[in-house]
Amino acid sequence: MSESLIEPVKQLIIDALRIEGMTTADIDSDAPLFGEGLGLDSIDALQLVVAMEKEYGVVVPDAATGTTVFQSVRSMAAHIAEHRK
Amino acid sequence: MNCYMFPGQPLSRSRGIPQDHDGEQIAELCRRHALFDPESWEWLTPDGTDNVALQLHGVAMSLHGARTLKKGGVTPGIVAEHSMGIYPAAALCGSLAEESVLEITSRGGRAMAAMGSSRHYSLGCVVGLTVEPVTALAENHGVYLANVNTDRHFLLAGELDPMNGAMAEALAVGAFSANSFSCDAPLHTPLMGELEGELRAIFSDYRYRDPQVPLMNHVDQCCLCGSDLADFMYRELLLPVQWERTYRALRSAGVDHFFEVGQGDSLKKYNRWLESRWEGS
Repeated sequence: MSESLIEPVKQLIIDALRIEGMTTADIDSDAPLFGEGLGLDSIDALQLVVAMEKEYGVVVPDAATGTTVFQSVRSMAAHIAEHRK
Repeated sequence: MNCYMFPGQPLSRSRGIPQDHDGEQIAELCRRHALFDPESWEWLTPDGTDNVALQLHGVAMSLHGARTLKKGGVTPGIVAEHSMGIYPAAALCGSLAEESVLEITSRGGRAMAAMGSSRHYSLGCVVGLTVEPVTALAENHGVYLANVNTDRHFLLAGELDPMNGAMAEALAVGAFSANSFSCDAPLHTPLMGELEGELRAIFSDYRYRDPQVPLMNHVDQCCLCGSDLADFMYRELLLPVQWERTYRALRSAGVDHFFEVGQGDSLKKYNRWLESRWEGS
């Protein structure tokens, strides 16, 4: 179930963060989103929280959950698959 | 219309100053006028601190970025600044020479760093709450709202122990993230008033020419003239940065292309957030 969300989640990241010159093929599904990976920060994370809620109706209720959810594209997809309405 | 946006102090050094002709020139100006070597990251004076080094690094990167953009043919129709971004912004506008900007950053930074020798200060970055709970928790813990970057991104400043309490409360009431960082001085708070004499003396040592490009300030979104600058450089240290208002004022003035001039892309990200809120409303 969550595997089918991998590509849409990558596209969501590109669209929500308005990343220019990047395609879904450029994003590793298992790479860290923060730090060494895509290099995202807390500003980006909140943007992704809002985008996930808007697109899938999925909430990230607190910082601790966010730490788990935003580990990678795959963990985002798993969270959406588990909680989408 | 193009806008050059000058960010404030970076929280870390993500990369060194570019090793090109402009980078070497700016590094030499920094060594001679700010007593700091941004290439070896060493102070040439005993009273430099890590935070002032970061301030100088940020200014040096902004000076380099401005040179690069201008050489690339990007002409600013207006200039905006966030916090210590006022220093390189003043250089880009022709109000001060680059060496003066580096010298002011060093002198002012070292004066402010002295505050941290007797007390421990901290910055608190709160993401996800609205301004009302952030204002309330700042008051509860005796710290100050120092940056209003968007409707959900804030920076607090104050003493270390109260800040730790404020960050814990922020998380307890639903902040998406709340992190604190040590700093030398509580910038953008009334606490900076204790350095009024010293800071005003530093800022009044220079002659400020009128900006050749409109320079919008982050406090009241008016454009500064040369005679405003020394007073503004002191006053802005006591008042919160109002980036959201500044961004809205820039858009209203006709800006449609923003260029962040310096290390990082925080201002671009704040703008992106604000744009997405408008699109969604």
